[in-house]
Amino acid sequence: MSNRSSLPPIDATVGEAQQWLADGHCTSRQLIDGYLEFLQGVGRQLNAVVEIFIESAQQAADQSDQRRAQGQCFGPLDGIPFTAKMNITTQLGSSDASSPMLRGFQAQEDATAVRRLRAAGAVLVGKTNCDEFAMGASNETSSHGVVSNPWDRERVPGGSSGGSAALAGSHGWSFHLGSDTGGSIRQPAAFCNATAIKPTWGRVSRRGLIAFGSSLDQICPIARDAVDCQSVLQVMEGHDPLDSTSLRQDTASQSKISRVALISDGLGPGIDASIATAVRSAAQQMASQGIEIIERSLPHLEAANACYQVISTAEASSNLARYDGVHVGVRGQSEDLQQLYETSRHQGFGSEVRRRILLGTFVLSSGYQDAYYNRALAVRDLIRQGIDQVLEDCDALLLPVSPFAPFPIGERIDDPLALYACDILTVTANLAGVPALALPCAFDEEKLPIGMQLMGAHGSDHALLEFGQRWQCWNDQHRALPQGSIR
Amino acid sequence: MSGKTNSWKTVVGLEIHAQMSTRSKMFCGCVRSTETAPNQHLCPVCAGWPGALPVINQAAVRRAIRAAISLDCGVQRESRFDRKNYFYPDLPKGYQISQFYRPYALGGEIRFERDDGSSGVLPLVRIHMEEDAGKSVHAEDGTSRIDLNRCSSPLLEIVTEPLQMSGVEAARCVRSTRELLRWIGVCDGDMEKGNLRADVNVSIHREGDTVLGTRTELKNLNSFVSIERSVEVESARQAVVLEAGGVIRQETRLWDQDLEQTEEMRGKEDSPDYRYFPDPDLPLLIIEPSDIDRERDSLPESLGARRTRYIDQLKVDARDAESILARREFGDFFDQLLAAGLSPASASNWFRGEVLKHLNDREESIDDYPLTAASIAEVVEAVEGDRISVAKGREILQAALDQGCSPAKILAQTGEQVSDEAALIGWVQQVVDANPEAAEKIRAGDSKPLGFLMGQVMKASSGQAHPRRVQEILQRLIQHD
Repeated sequence: MSNRSSLPPIDATVGEAQQWLADGHCTSRQLIDGYLEFLQGVGRQLNAVVEIFIESAQQAADQSDQRRAQGQCFGPLDGIPFTAKMNITTQLGSSDASSPMLRGFQAQEDATAVRRLRAAGAVLVGKTNCDEFAMGASNETSSHGVVSNPWDRERVPGGSSGGSAALAGSHGWSFHLGSDTGGSIRQPAAFCNATAIKPTWGRVSRRGLIAFGSSLDQICPIARDAVDCQSVLQVMEGHDPLDSTSLRQDTASQSKISRVALISDGLGPGIDASIATAVRSAAQQMASQGIEIIERSLPHLEAANACYQVISTAEASSNLARYDGVHVGVRGQSEDLQQLYETSRHQGFGSEVRRRILLGTFVLSSGYQDAYYNRALAVRDLIRQGIDQVLEDCDALLLPVSPFAPFPIGERIDDPLALYACDILTVTANLAGVPALALPCAFDEEKLPIGMQLMGAHGSDHALLEFGQRWQCWNDQHRALPQGSIR
Repeated sequence: MSGKTNSWKTVVGLEIHAQMSTRSKMFCGCVRSTETAPNQHLCPVCAGWPGALPVINQAAVRRAIRAAISLDCGVQRESRFDRKNYFYPDLPKGYQISQFYRPYALGGEIRFERDDGSSGVLPLVRIHMEEDAGKSVHAEDGTSRIDLNRCSSPLLEIVTEPLQMSGVEAARCVRSTRELLRWIGVCDGDMEKGNLRADVNVSIHREGDTVLGTRTELKNLNSFVSIERSVEVESARQAVVLEAGGVIRQETRLWDQDLEQTEEMRGKEDSPDYRYFPDPDLPLLIIEPSDIDRERDSLPESLGARRTRYIDQLKVDARDAESILARREFGDFFDQLLAAGLSPASASNWFRGEVLKHLNDREESIDDYPLTAASIAEVVEAVEGDRISVAKGREILQAALDQGCSPAKILAQTGEQVSDEAALIGWVQQVVDANPEAAEKIRAGDSKPLGFLMGQVMKASSGQAHPRRVQEILQRLIQHD
């Protein structure tokens, strides 16, 4: 790289990098080349990136530079590098959801979110590692192997969007598309000191997101700060005629957040003391800035995870039925049809995915559906009502993202219940369909990042992001980068 | 079987599956067609590719509303799609999108003719929308091939209550439903192509019993005769079992049309657990009263009303009326002939004799028929005004079809029919003189050569001689010669 000195600082946000380009300090091509170098170096070392698109990214960067030279820059994301999680379809490369089942699967089309971002000039530079079919909270179920946490490479980056978070946590200039079904963008964001939002269900088209739990899934941005997440969300969001559950209009309560409910149930037993302390002191910092903090209880929080396990696995068992060895996906050796199904699905799915398919099939089965699936739907309604109740006199709910700090690789992978415990504080937002923003708030004694989340009313995504921007003016935790990520 | 069988009563319930005649499939933009080579009409949505999502075809919903209105169902403001989960190679998603918990239409009825001529009413439970599966083609060598052209075609499933009826009556119920769906443009009703088929539930009980017998289900019947015969054969089979002291098991049976027998396919305990649950990819389906009104306003005159008009008011022969009413487009064309000034009798004759025959011979749709009703009427009027012969009229219509021009143009080039006595006598005399043996045979009482001489006269007159007049003159001349 001839002009190394002209590149922005590596902790620069997308917004700052865009300003850097506008000021003529470097070209998009130089920015992209610099980022590709990071992906090939640190990105590979962390095993965060699975595929890198060098040529097409360079071409797209050159086109962006031409636009900028002609005064026709497309906006805040033009010429900015981004990645997509392996469970988001892209015409470039493969989209295998980190599953042996879909090894080499090439989608015909970009997911709607990806298409809109590329149309806004953003440059797709690679595909990121994740848990198989987004089922996991540690990125350890991936067919591409585990991802390292950039803050401690012996620890997990969280999951399922582990690759996206590891990149966002270790380098600026870029943003990443992950997905969140029960916390899959927020928990890795918290583990890697990144900012991410799980939008209101339906705000971003799911067209092109390889389904896990359709009524819970959302494509999500993860980046350095709330400004960047908002820029990305503004491009991705909006009705898509190819996803009939995507929202038609903004029914948002976008009022400014001034009263925040600190959820006491998220600070009690089962939550690491350092995390509870960090979130309490974040609340104090907000209060010192004039935010009214009210301590509240969130009814039914204790039932949320069980409810989530039932609904998400039920939907997954149906969503993953299409991988039968006949159509898309691997085909096993077989003598007859039954064996074809058995060998294909046994070879194609990892053990965690198989476990969830079995669970989901069970909870929907005749004779058990009332006791499990239908009861979970009833609990889901109660959870929605519980959130609504708190939001009657508050603008947002504040609680930690994860009950514990990033854990060592291998510590929980053989204990499914210990792994599912990662989700206890995040699944409520998915069950209720409301937006939730994950923000870095502190380090623990081992200098591992701690994240907090703010949940808002249905449609209040931008109000949350604007609050996140204010928070990041008061607290610069989000600017911190791990030592090891510096080239 | 002894006379005891007389006391068995047969009860039949129907599930009629009708493929809706939309341009595209139920949840994607693919063309709904099975007429092409396999796997020509598929996309990521109907082929179940990862990341693809279904979108409800509103044209299918409109047709479904028309069917519900015409069958007197209650259209539900809110309904929902559910997933029916099962593995089969021609079901690429591993589930079928259907409406299980909350169908869009409840109640309603099918009207049919009872064996004694009275009118019967078969109540409906519900109608729901769903998508069809693809097709598995099993070859003799043991390989199977999958064709997804049909996959995700829009279907209506019409579910009836059980009702005491005969096999003939069951077939009539399906027939009248098919007629109605065709009439309102919802389904092509072509049973050979499988776009209308029925599952039949059959049970028997003793006269006077208050509880129905255990039912068996016969699947995928795709002809009226198979519906009629399978009900008869299956109810007789059940009677034999019960009279021998056996019990009927609730099971699914297959109908073998060639052997005229039913055979066990699977028992109730083997029936798959479909694990129905609401499809999270689709929102609630909302049908507003205004949507229903719009469809009701655009419905054609009902089949029954039009049948009454043709037979009772216009005095069209009942059998002829049925062939005109086989499709609404036929009836519409017939009405256009009437509007162009033809009498009901000649409109019926010419429509059936010319238009329908042409379509049947060529297996063409009336949409592709090039002649207008008005242009046909013009030719018919020339015939009825004695200006041209019937044969000439037909010839003109045929020529117009062959040459792709209007009949009026050919009609204008055709000389008028000659009825002038002197001219006719001249031609006839000329032919009789040239064929003395034929004339002799006729005088001897053999009328066979008459046709030959007629043909000769028509030829001599270049087809312009008035045929009936020619025949009269011919006979007169020969007899008096």
